Amino acid sequence: MKLDCSGLACPEPVLQTKKALEALPNDSVLEVVVSSIASKENVLRFAQNGGFDARAEDVAEGKSLITIVKGFACNVVENSDNEKFLDKTLFLKSDKVGEGELGAKLIVGFLKSTLELPKLPKRIICVNQAVLLTTAEESAPITEVLKALEAKGVEIYSCGVCLEFFGVTDKLKVGKIGNAFGTIEMLFGGEGTISL
Amino acid sequence: MNNEAKLTKYVKAAGCAAKLGPGDLTEAIGGLSCTHENVLVGMDTSDDASVYYLDEERALVQTVDIITPVVDDPYVYGQIAAANSLSDVFSMGGEVATAMNIVGFDGCHHPRSVLKEILAGGQSKVAECGGIIIGGHTIEAPEMTYGMSVTGFVHPQKIYRNNTPRIGDVLILTKPLGMGILTTAIKADMLEEKVVEKVASILSTLNHKASQIMRKYDVSACTDVTGFGLFGHASEMSFNRVTIAFEMHNIPILEEARALADMGIIPAGAYNNKSYLSSKVEVKIAHKDEIILYDAQTSGGLLIAVSQDDALKLLQHLKDEGLTYSAIIAEILPLGEKPLLYR
Repeated sequence: MKLDCSGLACPEPVLQTKKALEALPNDSVLEVVVSSIASKENVLRFAQNGGFDARAEDVAEGKSLITIVKGFACNVVENSDNEKFLDKTLFLKSDKVGEGELGAKLIVGFLKSTLELPKLPKRIICVNQAVLLTTAEESAPITEVLKALEAKGVEIYSCGVCLEFFGVTDKLKVGKIGNAFGTIEMLFGGEGTISL
Repeated sequence: MNNEAKLTKYVKAAGCAAKLGPGDLTEAIGGLSCTHENVLVGMDTSDDASVYYLDEERALVQTVDIITPVVDDPYVYGQIAAANSLSDVFSMGGEVATAMNIVGFDGCHHPRSVLKEILAGGQSKVAECGGIIIGGHTIEAPEMTYGMSVTGFVHPQKIYRNNTPRIGDVLILTKPLGMGILTTAIKADMLEEKVVEKVASILSTLNHKASQIMRKYDVSACTDVTGFGLFGHASEMSFNRVTIAFEMHNIPILEEARALADMGIIPAGAYNNKSYLSSKVEVKIAHKDEIILYDAQTSGGLLIAVSQDDALKLLQHLKDEGLTYSAIIAEILPLGEKPLLYR
């Protein structure tokens, strides 16, 4: 089925697409022609967020053809934040868990194991001596672990005042510098905070 | 609400979503010049209103704004259009003195009684902030438009400009985003009545109280978020001199607007704003609701740059006075790669 929505303003193309998709049986293809970038983006957004397989190609005279498949196409559902992350904040106050040499090993071990979890904590906030973790040598095991966590999307913040206090602001290897407002908001705003 | 008049059904785009894009506008007015010793704020800094020096105690604040209907109820549309027009005086830190109505009336689709209600709605808002309507002008038009030319006063030493934030300040926004999306949905009859009422109450809230409150604190710059969206107005605030870093999860966005954005109910204005601005924005962590940061707002909130020392106090004060959506959303950093970033 082909639907011509050229010249129509938002939200008309989306509404017509919605109606057409609802009327179509499974395993069918809907082609929608639109004539503006806004309509193209909107129809794509509607179809993709609705779980349909959709793609757009530019055709003549500034028009786009959007092809939407209803039914058999495999739905690649994007992992939303909620599915990938626990709504939890890891609040670190020290570069060790407990005292001494063992303490230093434990923190690396703990964060390394965290990496293996199916769902990661949403963010890690480092204050006081914990900023020594995010400013450690490039070759240190902790740097590698933190970078791996960041690569997986975990937000890592180091307290700006603390970095300055230890004189290590320019040595930050991973994550961002956080401020007091952001930190407090994250601690109170999230579902849970874990402190080691 | 009285939706019988179906005001939004006879216009192409709703509210500020109908505004000419920032690129087009800059090109059109670029050749105009307004340099004069008494002009304290003119067109060169894309500020909210003009300010003209009168004497040591007073400067004249002038602004004009019209919008197409964003709700179907004429009285409420009048209130919203007035709140939208008056806002520019408040964002300069001024108080409203007088206003004149500017009406394009679609007499083909609406009886005269509709006009009367629109004007009554407008009057109610001007009166609320202590101003008076002293005249106006009406023409017949194919599409309904209403707004005001507003005159106010500000102390010449206490003008709140839009482009003077200090590094280290944080930004507070006093109303939630998503209004362009929501008014587009109202036009398409997609919203439940109680959501429409919620949206209408946000839109018709004057920025008067927010303005009066902010003047008690250490504020370095202020603007209101309207047709160019949060990022458009933030870009003017940055003035390419500082970087404004937004915390995505702190930005107040109405839940209903997020859901509609997912459905693709996004007015073309948002995409126009985005294509004009995206080269100025560094995206640290991409977010699905990004487009809402470009959504054209009708009668949006104040965007206030305040010192960190005063930020929490100002925020609490705004909330205590009923401006409950207020939130700290960004921080002013030294100019980095791009004038705006979000994470």
